Amino acid sequence: MSSLADRVRGVVVGTGGTTQRPLITDQLQPPVPNPQSPRESPDLSPLAGCWSGGCFVVEREWKPSASHGRERIGELAARLEASIADAPLFSGGAAARPPLMFFDLETTGLNGGAGTHVFLIGCGWFDDDRFLTRQFVMTRFSDERPMLQAVARDFDRAGALVSFNGKSFDAPVLETRYLFHRLEWFGGETPHIDVLHPARQFWKRDDCSLGALERQLVGHRRIGDVAGFEVPARYFQFIRTGDARPLAAVLEHNRLDLLSLAALTARLLHVTRNGPGAAHDAREAIALARVYARAGMDERVVDAYIRALSFSHAPARAFDAARIDGLRGLAQTYRRLRRFDAAAQRWQELLDIRGCPAAIAAEATEALAIHHEHRLRDFELARSFALRSLESIKEERRPARTEAVKHRLGRLDRKLNQERTLSF
Amino acid sequence: MLPALRSKSESALDAALQRLTGGLPSEETTLARPDTPDHHVTAVRRLPAVAAQFAPFPDAFDPRLTQALTNRGVTQLYTHQAEAIGHALADRNVVTITPTASGKTLCYNAPVLSAILQDPSSRALYLFPTKALAQDQLAELQAMCEVLSGAGDQQPTIGVFTYDGDTPQDARRTIRSRAHIVLSNPDMVHSGILPHHPRWAKLFENLKYVVIDELHAYRGVFGSHLCNVLRRMRRICRHYGSDPVFVCSSATIANPRELAERLTEQPFELVENSGAPRGEKFFLFVNPPVVNHQLGIRRSYLSETRRIAGEFLKRRLQLIVFAQSRLATEILTTYLKDDFEGEPGMPERIRGYRGGYLPLRRREIEKGLREGAVRAVVSTNALELGIDIGALDVAVMAGYPGTIAATWQRAGRAGRRASRSAAVMVASSAPLDQFIVRNPSYFFDRSPEHALIDPDNLHILVDHVKCAAFELPFTTAESFGRHDVQEILGVLAEQGLVHRAQDTDVESGSTQGVWTWTNESYPADAVSLRSVSSDNFVIVDTTEETRVIGETDFTSGPSTLHPKAIYIVEARQYQVEKLDFEGRKAYVRAIDCDYYTDAITYTRVTPIDEFARDADRTHGEVHVVSRVVGFKKIKFYTNENVGSGELDLPEQQMHTTAYWLTIPAEVIGQLPYASDDRRDGVVGLGFALKQVAQLLLMCDGHDIGLSIDSGDGEQGAAGAIKPQKIFVYDNYPGGIGFSKPLFDMHEALLTNTRALIAECQCENGCPGCVGPVGNTGPLAKSVALRILQLLAQEQLEESVF
Repeated sequence: MSSLADRVRGVVVGTGGTTQRPLITDQLQPPVPNPQSPRESPDLSPLAGCWSGGCFVVEREWKPSASHGRERIGELAARLEASIADAPLFSGGAAARPPLMFFDLETTGLNGGAGTHVFLIGCGWFDDDRFLTRQFVMTRFSDERPMLQAVARDFDRAGALVSFNGKSFDAPVLETRYLFHRLEWFGGETPHIDVLHPARQFWKRDDCSLGALERQLVGHRRIGDVAGFEVPARYFQFIRTGDARPLAAVLEHNRLDLLSLAALTARLLHVTRNGPGAAHDAREAIALARVYARAGMDERVVDAYIRALSFSHAPARAFDAARIDGLRGLAQTYRRLRRFDAAAQRWQELLDIRGCPAAIAAEATEALAIHHEHRLRDFELARSFALRSLESIKEERRPARTEAVKHRLGRLDRKLNQERTLSF
Repeated sequence: MLPALRSKSESALDAALQRLTGGLPSEETTLARPDTPDHHVTAVRRLPAVAAQFAPFPDAFDPRLTQALTNRGVTQLYTHQAEAIGHALADRNVVTITPTASGKTLCYNAPVLSAILQDPSSRALYLFPTKALAQDQLAELQAMCEVLSGAGDQQPTIGVFTYDGDTPQDARRTIRSRAHIVLSNPDMVHSGILPHHPRWAKLFENLKYVVIDELHAYRGVFGSHLCNVLRRMRRICRHYGSDPVFVCSSATIANPRELAERLTEQPFELVENSGAPRGEKFFLFVNPPVVNHQLGIRRSYLSETRRIAGEFLKRRLQLIVFAQSRLATEILTTYLKDDFEGEPGMPERIRGYRGGYLPLRRREIEKGLREGAVRAVVSTNALELGIDIGALDVAVMAGYPGTIAATWQRAGRAGRRASRSAAVMVASSAPLDQFIVRNPSYFFDRSPEHALIDPDNLHILVDHVKCAAFELPFTTAESFGRHDVQEILGVLAEQGLVHRAQDTDVESGSTQGVWTWTNESYPADAVSLRSVSSDNFVIVDTTEETRVIGETDFTSGPSTLHPKAIYIVEARQYQVEKLDFEGRKAYVRAIDCDYYTDAITYTRVTPIDEFARDADRTHGEVHVVSRVVGFKKIKFYTNENVGSGELDLPEQQMHTTAYWLTIPAEVIGQLPYASDDRRDGVVGLGFALKQVAQLLLMCDGHDIGLSIDSGDGEQGAAGAIKPQKIFVYDNYPGGIGFSKPLFDMHEALLTNTRALIAECQCENGCPGCVGPVGNTGPLAKSVALRILQLLAQEQLEESVF
């Protein structure tokens, strides 16, 4: 009978029910150092860092004059400082305050769970007008606990955490590591701004990844960057061989991510702080209006929608998606502000646009029917709007709404009859 | 409630039984009555009423719980409950054998709730084999907890939640923090809880009890996986400093304690004497009459079931009819509706019930049964367990449910605690059914069914070692299972899945080697607890839009998904148009036809290693090569062979374990038959042997394979008589633990095989014994019996000398 190891190889290497024997075991042995004598300490010099507080730390500094794409570090710092007061708009109302701690993790997998490790915790912050990064590297698995403790000390002074997709990925994965070691997790209380969500609203393109935004908005082009999917393999290679060179590029990748995250945050807060006038295009202006709307800043909402409309250069009745969004938002805001005539005017403009989507046309005609029935008491016109919305709803197949409109039509007919009877 | 009504239904039952049996036994006897008016009744067994045996609440019981139970009308416990609760409260693992309706849930709910009341930080994890069973338990537990929290002002709320694949993502965090009792299933623990144990720290730190209900369901592959899931769970508990007590319940099997101890690798106490009361019950076996003696063809068991159900229904008795498939359920529902449904528009009195019905409809049927408006329900095993439908007068089973344990569970659906009830099993022509119906004592006496597992099957074990390494690094001193896990980890390291390094403990300064998971994957995702290997075929329906409608494990792929095979899912038929062997995909198209296909597989088994040998029996490792060479088209209902085809599919190989019977050349030589007939006899014997093995091993026909080595390939003079070998092998790579027990049960295997063949009423062999005549030849039955006789003689002589 063959040895256990051979049989296990048959199970691990063979697929399904077929196990071919004999296995040529020589070919299965990858050139790894003898596991019986693990290397004592790897050569970490390619990472250019140092040991501090029981873990390996790599620090870098960007001077104010340094540039990142089209941006200068000093200007980013200044812009952030000037607009920091609006940060709570993006942290769910939590009292986000300076200093902002940008963070980004590199992990051994994307699935989460106890066996997914965080091997690199990158954080960055502005210190006066310099940008500093500190990266904690897990050079072996036994480093993890001191690393998490050191990170917790660093994050303790953060006024808010800033990440890109950190709410759904980085924070839960990191939380699992703290839970694993029975260490207190700081992420629960510290305000957290996840730039991915506003980024989708402000700058959504086909690709809303950090890299794509970095190219388009910051104007930075990376050379020799590590692809995300390669990252775990590079780390495993380092762990097995002790050769830190493949890891150096991962650290560089992580630093650039931090820098771009800072640049995007600066832009986001700058636009928000400086109001609609600072919006670069209709999309930004509309996103801005929605941010203000959530915070109940109605007057700024109106300004933002008007700004969005000002970017539209299409002829008055021609189809323009941004103008439709702008008019609709404006009409809704005016209605909330009880400026009914202004609202009605925008609904009417919306209806005049050729190819206005049925759902929006239905909303507009319904609003206009209500406006004419209850405020202008022009039942004939109200009736014609109600009929039009019936048309639009038909395309949507929503029986409940159809019923509501039919109900309105019935009431309008009664009112019209009454009027006719009275006028006789 | 109404004594008059009850006695009325009892006399109706008496009348119906009288009609069927021509006189009921007064003693607890089994009668074989070929002379009954209904002369297909082969056995009648009277199970006398049993009075309840009570015991007081154990001392360690929390008084608040005693109070709450009293409020719900429970003032004392049955003896088995008291015994089981006593063990659990004293931190002894316990497995309780529980007939239906004996109050098994209290056996585990009581110690769990008592522990939580005394220490609100205590936690419990319940495992059910299906999601539906967990849902059914949820309501009862929540009701108990409500009573408990209403009992005093400062009672803490006891959180009870199900946690399974259906639990919404946003509810999961709340459940993790609030649940005292988590109701889940092994699959979810495997892929959703253990890999995320840091988030469940509170549960694992305080895990006081692990409840495993329906323990007997965890046998074969599923049980072997569960054992490894429990190994992983106990590892995690050790990490968090807890050591839970296991409280299990099982249907009646031969080896409940052994199964519990193998699954959990812990010592167990066994509670097997029920103190619950039982009404008088009559158990009838019915064998449909033979209509063609030559071919041994019997009348359809579905028609027979229809007739018998009718005898009860027309006497206004409420009954449940169990069918073996969804198709049979629908057919029987139609039959009974034709016979008994009243005016259209009236409430439906006859209902069908099976998986696939919408929940609302199911609830309506259950309610109708409890209230008596529904007089008969025809169901698949969906109603076998758990679901509250009240107690009915009669349970009729169309076909043997496959295991004795399941048969008793179904029979338990009929019968109140104080009144008379009946259960009827109508045998189909399948060999297992025929064996049971002709050997009532086999069924009624002590259960011979062994639930078996082999958690150290390397295919299964290695998968779980990966999962365990993902969950917590292995130390170089750790063990896991029977094999040397360090050697396994060494191979995983070669594959880059784990990495070994020295770990220095910061506080103590001590160093030890650890194996850490170094792979991007989430290994639990690649492991299904219901199959050995994660490799499988998916079935793609191309009838309209392309969609995946099912999957089949790799081993059975070629025999069920070969080109032109009929693949049946939920009674819908599909024909395989193309099998992409490399891509592991079968493309099918919906079709409407009156036949199914049966693959012809050529199998060759070669022994590699003998683990044990004793006279004619051997147990060892074998190499199985099988190839699907063709298929037959079999017509539904009549089982006629209506066509065939040839196939050319790749060979499949596996290493597994086997039991084999060697028929010595001398025995063959003594057979007074021609060589072709001798061969037929060996084939027929193998056919019967496999049926009995299936019965003893409590497994499905698919779980074991049969192969015969006639010695043709061996050296020797042409025409010389060679020994013949009959292999019964575990049909899973690596084996799943059937061969060794089969080797040990050799005597029972041969004795019962002989009984199966000898007592069969057919003339020359039929599907119920040595296989259909057309397949095995005219003399197979006689030759097979002769071989068994000679083997027995040989055995006798050996023991004399």
